[in-house]
Amino acid sequence: MNGSVDEESGLPDEAELARTDIEMSFRVRPLGNVVGDLSGILGAHATELVGAFYPRRVSNKVNVVLTELVNNVLQNFVDRESDIQVTLRLDAERLVLRVSNAATPAQYDKVRGIVERIQATPDPRTLLRDTIRERRKSRLRGGLGLLRLVVENKFQLGVSYDQSVLTVESRIALGGLA
Amino acid sequence: MKVIAFGDVMDGGTSVFTSVAKIDGHKLLLTFSGIIRIDNPYTHLQPYVDELNTLLPGLGVGETNIDFTKLKFCNSNGFYVIMDITEAVYRHTLGEVVVHRLAEDDWQQETLPILIDVDDAGVAERTRFVDCAEL
Repeated sequence: MNGSVDEESGLPDEAELARTDIEMSFRVRPLGNVVGDLSGILGAHATELVGAFYPRRVSNKVNVVLTELVNNVLQNFVDRESDIQVTLRLDAERLVLRVSNAATPAQYDKVRGIVERIQATPDPRTLLRDTIRERRKSRLRGGLGLLRLVVENKFQLGVSYDQSVLTVESRIALGGLA
Repeated sequence: MKVIAFGDVMDGGTSVFTSVAKIDGHKLLLTFSGIIRIDNPYTHLQPYVDELNTLLPGLGVGETNIDFTKLKFCNSNGFYVIMDITEAVYRHTLGEVVVHRLAEDDWQQETLPILIDVDDAGVAERTRFVDCAEL
């Protein structure tokens, strides 16, 4: 759906802005040098960029998905010299974020298991609730981010592993949001 | 209105998250503002949680207002501390708990009810959500 220019201001209206194509990617290496809040920096940057064109509900989703997927990498990487690669694609139809990093086969199996468990459950909200309750008993870190992306933000998740690089993809159709 | 407890998260010398508990007669007002995105919020907020659990039982609170509308972001590492704070409220107060939240914030609409545990019948009975527009 194309928007138009506001007659009074001469500027693109909201519908016109929300069909803007955005693609951004970044790579940080070595991960061992990351000592600050990398997910916060990236999330704030991407949120500001996306928020210049899309409604807050969309830019909020960008912030959440970037934060959770980048934090997953930062909390679990095994090779200090390896990198993290992030690609964000956004247009009027969909938002896709891919985060890749070097991982062991065991790490891939673990992430794939989580994703498959989420995809298999008929009631993701109950799974999130029960997982939060269970992990809270031991105040276990992590383990909630991917579930949160599905239950709270309605993302579809995919996971792949190629040449020791694990990629997690989050995708959502923007119908009705933008 | 009297401030009874205060918790915040500092980052780089600046306060990035604040929660304040105030009491007005038998009414408790609890506010959350800023962002929670640090790895372990307990390093900053455990004293606040402890203070709430110590002070609230003696205050005779019969009505509570919790305001999340100025909480801009909460990563999943912040879930448990939100649960601890709200659990202290429900455990040590009586009466209705009115929860103000943003109508267009996915976290506040989808995940917050889980953290407050509205699936518990006793909690659900006491809880009323008020959806607000962001200013």
